[in-house]
Amino acid sequence: MNDFIHGSLYGGGIIVVLLTVTAMALWFERKMAGRMHSRLGPTIVGPFGLLQPVADVVKLLQKEDITPEKADAALFNLAPPMGAIAAIAVAAVIPFSSSIVAADLEVGVLYLLAIGALGVLPVFIAGWGSNNKFAMLGGMRAIAQSVSYEVPLVLAAMVPVILSGSMKVSDIVAYQAAHHWMVTWPFFLGIPAFAIFMLAMLAEANRIPFDIPEAESELVAGITTEYTGMKFALFYVAEYVHTLVASAVGAALFLGGWDGPFAPGIWWMVAKTLVLFAFIYWTRYSLLRFRSDQLMALCWRWLVPTGVVLVAASAVWVVFAG
Amino acid sequence: MSSQIGFGLVAAIILVSALFVVRSKNLIHAVLWLAVTLIGTAALYAQLNAPFLAGVQVLTYVGGVVTLMVFGVMVTRRHGGAEAPAESDSDEKGFIFATALFVVLALAIWKSPVPLPVQAPIATTNQLAHALLDDYLIAFEALSLLLLAAIVGAVVLARRRDPDPVSGEEAGAAAPTRSTTEVVP
Repeated sequence: MNDFIHGSLYGGGIIVVLLTVTAMALWFERKMAGRMHSRLGPTIVGPFGLLQPVADVVKLLQKEDITPEKADAALFNLAPPMGAIAAIAVAAVIPFSSSIVAADLEVGVLYLLAIGALGVLPVFIAGWGSNNKFAMLGGMRAIAQSVSYEVPLVLAAMVPVILSGSMKVSDIVAYQAAHHWMVTWPFFLGIPAFAIFMLAMLAEANRIPFDIPEAESELVAGITTEYTGMKFALFYVAEYVHTLVASAVGAALFLGGWDGPFAPGIWWMVAKTLVLFAFIYWTRYSLLRFRSDQLMALCWRWLVPTGVVLVAASAVWVVFAG
Repeated sequence: MSSQIGFGLVAAIILVSALFVVRSKNLIHAVLWLAVTLIGTAALYAQLNAPFLAGVQVLTYVGGVVTLMVFGVMVTRRHGGAEAPAESDSDEKGFIFATALFVVLALAIWKSPVPLPVQAPIATTNQLAHALLDDYLIAFEALSLLLLAAIVGAVVLARRRDPDPVSGEEAGAAAPTRSTTEVVP
């Protein structure tokens, strides 16, 4: 019963915090995009346009909720909540400080990889259930992309697991606090693994430069073509939560998680997560979208072989130098 | 007591979703119900103190196998709409075979004495790794060799339809050759 209360409290807390940060992230992204385009971004609603996300949500709530007549209604309506759930569920194993973690699973890394792999199903369901050619193409692209990038993601995540000797996310962070962060030493393993991990995470979250399933210049809006109002908003939220969680996981596995001087652990974790988050937006407004075949070539020709070498090298490092 | 309620719940989910897998008239629905069945199985593993097995179950079966099945349906079916009718033989034949299989399996389980510990043994992931990579290394490697052979075989089968390997090689410098991994039509 104690576990039940513990789980409910943490679960509720994580959802509230994630959704609040997501709303703020919308504002942050628009501000940042505005500055990068030499404009001001939102300025009207609230001080510095801070209430813009609230206005956006109110607008979306007013929109008509449409289910296309020829769509597979059950699947069409199932996809948006499923996507949001899959994105939020990953947050359960992230340690926000040495004591704040919702479920410190023994196989935490495996859990977040498995739930990440589930994340493609809602995207596919949306593509198929919409009964729309553009949505369908988006869904097919999403599956190909996700199945491919699953491989380098798992390989890159294995590097901190091998180096720290544990699959528990909190143990990996504790190891980094006691020794070195993964990206500082051995940096020749940590930095490439970190890079591959973040790339693959971005590809799984379908963010630019990997937002090929949506690709508004070629596929109208990809899988979200037929969605309106709050159902569309849920996809949007899922994408932001996914990016946020990916940043937190990257910070925990490679950047030392809550480890840092002067301030309590949670502030370090939040700071590292937000820096990675901002970096992802930076790339979003700097880079162009890959073509689908280029994306596959990048994955299978570069990331997968590099990942295999990194995993083997980590094992050698642990045996002979660790 | 609470663990029995949990087991009952998970078992019910597995049974009902499995029923939907075989009764669904829509192929995509059947595949998605299969995903529910597999996640239910993973939940069973988790309840039996085997979290590693549960994670691998979700990662490979739901994340890999179901996704590939879905992809297979998408690229091979001519879909005039969101429908993908599942064609199956007569219900009677299926019922007879299923009943026969059930009777045989039930008899086998009923007759063979399987001593079950009251408490499921707790094996850590570390112990599992040592078992796989120390004690049963030969079997483990033999299995991976088998899988590798299957992969190579699949690639050979899939590549047979390539028109000209020489020109394919040349096109590969700019863009990858048309293979099964490429999806954009």
